[in-house]
Amino acid sequence: MSMAWYIGRRCLWALLASFIILSVTFGFLAASPNPTASTVAFDAAQEGGDPEEAVETYEQTRGEDRPLMEQYTDFMIDMYTLNWGDSFNYNADVMTVIADSWVYSAAIVIPSTIVAVLIGFGVGLYSANNQYTKTDYAATFGAFFGISVPNFWLAIMLILIFGVVLEWFPTSYDTTVDYWSLEHAYQLVLPFFVLTTAAVASQMRYARAETLEYVNAEWTKTARAKGVSEWRIMFRHIFRPATPVLATILVADFVGIIFASAYVIEVIFGIPGLGLVSYNAIINMDTPLVLATTLVPVIIAILGNLLQDILYTVLDPRITYEGRN
Amino acid sequence: MATDTSPDRIEIGQIDWEEYETGRFNFDRKTVGSTLSLLAVGLLWLYDFLFVAERHPVLEQDLILFELSLNPNNVDWLFGLTLVALFWYVVVPLYQNKRMTMYYWSKFKQNTAAIWSLGFLAIIFVMGTVGPLIIGHPEPNWGNPNAPPVFFGGEWAHPFGTHRTGEDILEVTITGAQVSLQVGLIATLFSIILASVVGATAAFSGGWIDEVLMRFVDLLMTFPTFFLIVLLVYIYGGSLFLLIVILAFTGWGGTARLVRSEALQRSEESYIQAAEAAGAGKAYIIRRHILPNVSNTIITAATLIIPVMILTEAVLAFLGFGDPNIWSWGRIISDGRNHLATAWWVATIPGIFLFFTVLSFNFLGDALRDALDPRHET
Repeated sequence: MSMAWYIGRRCLWALLASFIILSVTFGFLAASPNPTASTVAFDAAQEGGDPEEAVETYEQTRGEDRPLMEQYTDFMIDMYTLNWGDSFNYNADVMTVIADSWVYSAAIVIPSTIVAVLIGFGVGLYSANNQYTKTDYAATFGAFFGISVPNFWLAIMLILIFGVVLEWFPTSYDTTVDYWSLEHAYQLVLPFFVLTTAAVASQMRYARAETLEYVNAEWTKTARAKGVSEWRIMFRHIFRPATPVLATILVADFVGIIFASAYVIEVIFGIPGLGLVSYNAIINMDTPLVLATTLVPVIIAILGNLLQDILYTVLDPRITYEGRN
Repeated sequence: MATDTSPDRIEIGQIDWEEYETGRFNFDRKTVGSTLSLLAVGLLWLYDFLFVAERHPVLEQDLILFELSLNPNNVDWLFGLTLVALFWYVVVPLYQNKRMTMYYWSKFKQNTAAIWSLGFLAIIFVMGTVGPLIIGHPEPNWGNPNAPPVFFGGEWAHPFGTHRTGEDILEVTITGAQVSLQVGLIATLFSIILASVVGATAAFSGGWIDEVLMRFVDLLMTFPTFFLIVLLVYIYGGSLFLLIVILAFTGWGGTARLVRSEALQRSEESYIQAAEAAGAGKAYIIRRHILPNVSNTIITAATLIIPVMILTEAVLAFLGFGDPNIWSWGRIISDGRNHLATAWWVATIPGIFLFFTVLSFNFLGDALRDALDPRHET
């Protein structure tokens, strides 16, 4: 099979995956009472109106009294044309809300990803090359700590120690600070640190496990025997064959870990990024915004997977364009 | 593998072949016992569901030290079922195969961290299963709010201090241990069952069944589970029962993949061919030959899924999406978060327990993998 056919097939799969996920989401929504509808009913009852009538009016304005198939078609068309409805709370299109908030998420997610990859791969590679030394044990223990420590608790402990007791860092985020300023970076130190510990730990563990496979490979021994320098061995003979798998992990696991961790961290520190917006949307029963903020990471994950498959073909010349084996 | 290095090898004449010739329907004590006890739990649940009014205890007994009042909800019943299953399928086989158990134990105990973890988890297990029966539900005590823990100006009556509404933090921690155990064990058990069935079926059936099942797993793995759970909790509400169901049905993808690849290797072996030649059906081969031979992988995977389940529940409870009537560790940490300056212990102490529980499961899983799976090299 040719490479073009392989990539084309992966693209088709991404489309199909998004289609299934959106359909399932619609199914979930249709099978349950809309949380917003119950709020409407509650409000109507409190104001002395008829709750059932209020729900009916609400459903009519939302078009939920039509046949299911018609609703489904409309839902899917809206989703694919990025017409994701309006947020009740912000009185704006959800896409605008997301466009306004993602920069705050990016301010911690992007630096944290870069640092996590550099440190994680670096330490993992070093650890694998120096297996069963004290440094390796220390690194492994550090990885266990990073994986096991509940992010939200670590964040609170850091706030307690560095915010409340030592008063080195602010305990909550100040939105009035200029985005491109040192002061802004300063108040992102704690959230950045928490997010990075989680990400570094998982990167490190994978990097160590993956590179270990090549530390004792025949070609590494050959290279060492003919006097290649240790640095060159580490990068050309050990790290290079491990990159395809590491890239896979980077994209697939990372989207899950980083986005999920960032969600909680934004809520704790009050950073108005996607996580906090989603959290507030849930608290305020703002269904279109909840849907958008939970589906955006999902779409990113699907695209990330697609990207990873394509990356794989570039990074690993040995790949066969057959199915899974 | 294991038998080669074990000092006491079995002679062929010692094997009681009768034991292995029981045929399709073998009624040994274990099968009868496990079926009967699982059935008993089911019947008790039916009795509670049909005849005992809600919020009324099934059993009330005044023991001398404390009053035992059992009023289980659905999660408690499922937890009972899980514990019974754990007993019959983990404890009893370990006892029956003493030789293998000792062999694995000798490998396992080389790992000091894992031994400590096992000890800590044993404490948490007793705390979470027996503790709530003794202390009941943590009650607010308005007369004694925000008491600091002992050694920090507090008293031994409340060694971990009290909450701002006067609940004893030790009691809250014990209840939280129960919640974490319930979530960790129940959700893991069900996701492991699902993963084993799907993985083994996919490997052994092949063809389009394999393709469809594994594509579904791909899809599940692509999905950032956290957001799926958030969405489902938003739509359907966050009762503990529902949360466990959601966790069980979203967390099995990776294990299914693992079981499939292991089972694929196993199904190449000649004893499978022999079984096929002897006329064994697919379901029988999967149940009798494939699953027991991949059980090491399954057990290791289970140990590493438990902490993920516990952490996810804690995060959701922390965010306030959990059941507001249940003292989860996540919920008490969230409560303590806004009063760090006045009562640091409320968020700190349950968090330490959560951290060490998760850490212990991770250590345990790692050590188990080293002990049970000699082919795994990390």
